[in-house]
Amino acid sequence: MISDSLFNRSNLSITALGLLASFFLGCATVRNPALDRARDAYETARRDPAVAGRAAVALDKTRMTLERAERVWATEKDVNEVEHLGYLAEKRAEIARVTARQRLAADEILELRPQRE
Amino acid sequence: MGTICDTKPGMIPRPKALRPISVITCSIILVAFQTTGCSTTKPPTEALSRAELTLRTAAEARADELAPMDLQRAREKLEGSKKAMAAGKYEEARRLAEMAQVEAELAEAKADAEITRRAADGLRQAVDALRQEMERGLVRGTSPGASKE
Repeated sequence: MISDSLFNRSNLSITALGLLASFFLGCATVRNPALDRARDAYETARRDPAVAGRAAVALDKTRMTLERAERVWATEKDVNEVEHLGYLAEKRAEIARVTARQRLAADEILELRPQRE
Repeated sequence: MGTICDTKPGMIPRPKALRPISVITCSIILVAFQTTGCSTTKPPTEALSRAELTLRTAAEARADELAPMDLQRAREKLEGSKKAMAAGKYEEARRLAEMAQVEAELAEAKADAEITRRAADGLRQAVDALRQEMERGLVRGTSPGASKE
């Protein structure tokens, strides 16, 4: 009886340890698609010289939102909040791209204006 | 090494009947904390007013005409946020307000970009026309017919 209960207890501990290990390992490797998309959007915008040079503020806002998403994912694993922040970061990256487009056109205006006069 | 959970033979054992009750009590307290933690999140009034203000700015920047889809999306999110707020779903209201805010910013940026692009296109056409006119004038000035006159 005693050996049986001991055996059961050790079995239980092994199972518990295994579950814990798999839980932590699983957490370390779990990816979040919304976060991946946000990272891609930020990286694409950051690598574009027009965006980096002409929409630095908008790009910085994208980075900060992405960092918030990364933090929430790393600490709380709150999927809903990470998806939300990922969406915001993607939109912010788009704002940075559009802002860069606007600044390019504004630069063209500055360049053309003396030619007309 | 003993822990606080160890029961020694000399110690007075806890009444057995209390154990499941205390577990249930703890669970109830935990769930209550969790639930009240969610429901007592502050109403996102600031996020909502920010989103409203950005939407107004976007509309003033002609986003209705130049980025209608984005502005419409922002308006829908703002409406959703207000409804969630009225229903006491503050977390949902905050998220929707933040989405409305960023979508309104995007609509405004698109409208600004479109206005500047149109201005640049107009200026480019004017400069091209001026250049062509000058070239024609130069050609006329140097053509044999022009030299005879």
